[in-house]
Amino acid sequence: MNRKWKHHAEAYLYISPSVILTVALGIYPILWALRYMFYDYKGYGEATFVGLYNFRRLFRDEYLWDAIWNTFVFAGGKMLLTLPVALLLAVILNGKLKGRNLLRGIYFMPTIFSTAVMAVVFYIIFNTYNGLLNQLLKLAGLPTLEWLGTEYAMLTCILIAAWGGIGNYMLLFLAGLQGIPKDVYESAELDGATGARRFWSITIPMLGPVLNIIMMLAIMSALESYEAIMVLTGGGPSGATEVMHLYLYKLLFPVSTGESMAQDIGYGSAVAMLLALIVGAITGIYLYLSRKLNDVHS
Amino acid sequence: MKRGFRQSLAVLAGLSLVLTAAGCGNAGNGGDGNANTSEKPANANAAQNQGEKEKTKLVYWTYQRHDAEYIKQKIQQFNETNEANIEVEMTMMAENYPQSLDLAFTSDQAPDVFATQRPAEFYAKGYFEPLNGYLTDELKSKFGSFLREGSNKFEDNVISLPNVGNTIRLVYNVDMFEKAGLQPPKSLDEMVAAAKKITEIGKPDGIYGWSLPYKSPSSALDRSAAKIAEMNGFHRSGFDFKTAKYDFSGWKPIIEAFRQMSADGSVLPGSESLDMDPMRAQFAEGKIGMYISYSTEAGVYNTQFPPKIRWDATLVPTIDGGEAKGAIDPAASAWLSMSSESKHKEAAWTFMSYMYQDEIMRGYHESGLGISVLPHILEGAKEPSTPGIQNFLPTEYDAAWPVEPQGIVPEGKTWQEQFTRYILGGGNLDETIGELNASYNAALDKAVAGGAVTVTPDPSFDPAALRK
Repeated sequence: MNRKWKHHAEAYLYISPSVILTVALGIYPILWALRYMFYDYKGYGEATFVGLYNFRRLFRDEYLWDAIWNTFVFAGGKMLLTLPVALLLAVILNGKLKGRNLLRGIYFMPTIFSTAVMAVVFYIIFNTYNGLLNQLLKLAGLPTLEWLGTEYAMLTCILIAAWGGIGNYMLLFLAGLQGIPKDVYESAELDGATGARRFWSITIPMLGPVLNIIMMLAIMSALESYEAIMVLTGGGPSGATEVMHLYLYKLLFPVSTGESMAQDIGYGSAVAMLLALIVGAITGIYLYLSRKLNDVHS
Repeated sequence: MKRGFRQSLAVLAGLSLVLTAAGCGNAGNGGDGNANTSEKPANANAAQNQGEKEKTKLVYWTYQRHDAEYIKQKIQQFNETNEANIEVEMTMMAENYPQSLDLAFTSDQAPDVFATQRPAEFYAKGYFEPLNGYLTDELKSKFGSFLREGSNKFEDNVISLPNVGNTIRLVYNVDMFEKAGLQPPKSLDEMVAAAKKITEIGKPDGIYGWSLPYKSPSSALDRSAAKIAEMNGFHRSGFDFKTAKYDFSGWKPIIEAFRQMSADGSVLPGSESLDMDPMRAQFAEGKIGMYISYSTEAGVYNTQFPPKIRWDATLVPTIDGGEAKGAIDPAASAWLSMSSESKHKEAAWTFMSYMYQDEIMRGYHESGLGISVLPHILEGAKEPSTPGIQNFLPTEYDAAWPVEPQGIVPEGKTWQEQFTRYILGGGNLDETIGELNASYNAALDKAVAGGAVTVTPDPSFDPAALRK
């Protein structure tokens, strides 16, 4: 008994740091937000119970819904651009290409850069007036664009996000590709299957489980990402790049009093809950559909 | 062996926990825990001072960068000469100053003295030590008329005293105005026309008539549209003191003029994504015809961005070019505050009294670090030495307004964001103004009903009478 207890105590001691941190930094804030979404609380002074007021406000807050729409555009654009390019690169770099290890390193490099630094560098490149890109376009005799203006700011954000994400997904695809047995390709080759045929009939189906995980990660990260946008455009101009988590960030940690709303913990908590539900629902729907497709396929 | 290994692991795990807890714990009142630049490492001379009388160490936080050299020098002087054996350590909080203060107060690491910001909010949070008990008759006579409820006084508790304010002017590229044969605009129509003409002439060389840092709507419009509004008799917050309601309808011609400059293509391309400093850099390069900003521009162009062009400043235009119907508030209300958490309040007040001396404040004004609004400082003060500051010096059109209701936050977007959206992208301005009036008045009504704010209409309020 004593020995058993000792054995358990040791185990609990080992896991206690992560349990304490999870409770303090994960569970407690969620419970805290669950409470405050029923209150009018500005971060100081007394919190006033307002019942469902913050939830009613969610439905009439057109800026929130604009931000949610922008998030779908951003996430859709990012995934459409990132995943095919990452897969293509992974397939190419999985072959017997000279210098492939160096290229893998180069493509992966953006993943290890700080998002804020990356955004500042891209600001210098995309800056409309004297940015590098427009200077190059001018030199080539092509028309320049307001890359960070209302019309193109979202496209620019998507391009930058894709640049930052491709290396990471390429690596995941590479791991998946290396799990496909070589003899399957060899048999296909003996049967006369071309490169494209091998890709569609072997690579894609056999990547299935990895693809599922990559898609899920891509969906979640695209829906939750806002850091680069915050540094690059601050959600502007005129809300053109305001994504839902940036909107939430401004509610909870307002940058200045004239900028967006002042601190509103109560409403912010309700928004946080809504956004968590949206991300959860989309991920859940994706998992459900992918499982259904797998069932059909098998 | 195995058991010994397990025990060692347990000890290590326990030790790491203790260290983590210690790292997160209170780092004392010396501000050692923050990662910002500090003028003097805390306890650097601890060993040397042993045996001497213990010094009272004060921590002073500021967010002002432009006056750092001057303030540093004065603090050094104080540290060397004060007879109370006080040593002040100045910490410059480069960014996120209010958030840093929040963190410091919640983790028991608050500075003893700090540059005042967000007075209403921080008063509600209990950060300020009331200064009433420290104010001498002399200070009361010097500053008394500048103490205003809701600004530097809350529930009769004085939380700070003023030092300098910022005047606002239209800053223009003299070379381009001369080339275009233009005089600085007196009306909004002239401003729009001047921006258009400068663009027509300058566009082949990449010169445009107008710019503002529209990346941050508040940075862009607080310094421009809101000040033109004040000059024309409408308070910068949109609050109408006559009716005690918010009403942005008087701003319509101002916002329309800004929109027109965008629609005409007179705005420097990329202004939508410009911060203030990159915009100044473009002005210094001669690429912008004009913009509106604070008196700090003179100092900035002398130190940070030496201009390649001749520039000057003039009063902002009125709506119709006629006599101004109001005045622009230089917003000189607060400078230094004492922390309610300070363990050395007497020493903190000794330091604050030193900083509020006439000589130091006059030197601040004369160095062009800010424009003093205090008669006892202006009396006998030399004209600030900073080139370009002359036309920023106070005139009758720079005068204080009454304090608007504090803490009014509308649901949804602020007026800065709504108007910037219209200026850059167009839309229906009447509808926007209607929405703003509704959302701000709803927030005001809520604050009044909750007892947080009291408002009284003053039908006889005349903004033109603010001018002295």
